[in-house]
Amino acid sequence: MPKVSKLHLPLNIEEPQILHIDLNSCFATVEQQARPLLRGKPVGVTNRNTEYTCVVAASIEAKARGIKVGMSFHDAKSLVPDLVMVESDPPKYHFVYQKLVDIMRSYSPNITMKSIDEGIIDFHNTRSVINTRDLVDIGYEIKGRLKEDVGSWMRCNIGIAPNRFLAKTAAGLHKPDGLDVINHKNLRQTFSGLALTDLTGIASRNEARLNAAGIMTPLQFLEAPADVLRRQVFKSVCGEDWYSRLRGHEVDDQEWSTKTIGRQYVMDNLRPTEAMVRSRLAYLCETTGMKLRYKGLAARGILVYARYASGDYWYGRKIFKSTFFSNAEVHRRATLLFNQRPRDSFEREIGVSCYALEPSNLDQVSLLEEVNKETWLTEAMDTINGQYGEFTITYASSLGAKGTVKQKIPFGTTRYFELLCNRA
Amino acid sequence: MDQTVTINKDVSIVAYYFRSGTKRLRCFPKRMEWDGKQITFTETGLRHPTRKGQRMVHIFDMTDGNADYRLEFDAEQLTWTLVSISDVSYSQTFAPAYA
Repeated sequence: MPKVSKLHLPLNIEEPQILHIDLNSCFATVEQQARPLLRGKPVGVTNRNTEYTCVVAASIEAKARGIKVGMSFHDAKSLVPDLVMVESDPPKYHFVYQKLVDIMRSYSPNITMKSIDEGIIDFHNTRSVINTRDLVDIGYEIKGRLKEDVGSWMRCNIGIAPNRFLAKTAAGLHKPDGLDVINHKNLRQTFSGLALTDLTGIASRNEARLNAAGIMTPLQFLEAPADVLRRQVFKSVCGEDWYSRLRGHEVDDQEWSTKTIGRQYVMDNLRPTEAMVRSRLAYLCETTGMKLRYKGLAARGILVYARYASGDYWYGRKIFKSTFFSNAEVHRRATLLFNQRPRDSFEREIGVSCYALEPSNLDQVSLLEEVNKETWLTEAMDTINGQYGEFTITYASSLGAKGTVKQKIPFGTTRYFELLCNRA
Repeated sequence: MDQTVTINKDVSIVAYYFRSGTKRLRCFPKRMEWDGKQITFTETGLRHPTRKGQRMVHIFDMTDGNADYRLEFDAEQLTWTLVSISDVSYSQTFAPAYA
């Protein structure tokens, strides 16, 4: 029997203290900033310079002509024949990210980067630092500083609200260069001009859930009682979270720990040979090992998967008694699993993922000589690669993939950005 | 894809211009000598530092109004390298490098 919610909250009437900054079409805008001749043209950014790729970011001009993120290269090109596709350049985005972080940190130590192009400044408890200045003034100042520090083509959306969800909603109201405030006074008015899917976190499935309960608009969503959202719509505690979130109360101020670390790769050849597949697997294992050590973690479990041209999917996973963190161990254990895969069709995509993570004890000298040797070899390799650039020395098994497999832009998280940029 | 030609050749920067930044004066290339030609830059796109191992290099994306130039300044060796040129006649007809 589900618990009946007695939650009843009024609208949050506190003065907005959360400022959300969103660099819209970030990668494409940065490319246009870097290359003035691209400005005003429809630009798409892709991760790889091949025909079988998709648009990972589109400029505002391209979006206006119907280009959507995730669209295949062929679809995008047939829709907008003069679309200019450029390959992603992570160090450039890292520079802009770093500038944005510097600007944000000059106002408050309490900042959170949600992704490369989105950040939040929480002004709670820091009003004295900014001399009780109006957040709208600060918002316009941030826009100016971004243009000054990065370039004149840079634009950002800013949203100010009592909680993170409403601040993000405010930032999306007037793209691409808006500044909006949502507070308890204009909340209902703002919601009246939005559709359910305009709310972050409400896509087609959640919309269908809400519609099934007779909730068709954000205003009806706002007026819905907490127990209806909990028991009827979301059938979980998420319903109460939505109830609080829509009223301006903070529920999204949470940090999540790393649960898995891995890499995946869509094959660059439609009919890859066994040697090609294995070299790319070795490369993925090396980058996975690097990520593990970068985070100071060791894993006990490993998962390997393959997706085939026939549409079939295979995965194998195993949990071990001992932890591992070196490239060689990740590769050895992944290969043991990978050898068991069916070979009826060509691999289209392969991936490696480590789980059951725990802090690595690299400093602890082992009683076993071979464990120490492996640790010292890994540390020596990391030192050399740190000095001269990643993959300066690498395993022979992954040589075939070096230069072919490129690091993609980390969309959701910026946890490995430093590691990624050291490789450039 | 856009039409980018990789050059990777050392070039001479024969004129610079300076702009005041937030903390100090910032220096940008103004004129470049390469392949017997002089190219005068009209606009700076983006200047960003990046690492090559422990070496710090500065990337300058410049334009002369006809093409975009990517220059790399090695802060250790004090050398300028022309990394690539992207032509203004962006490909209307798709002509990929792998075709």
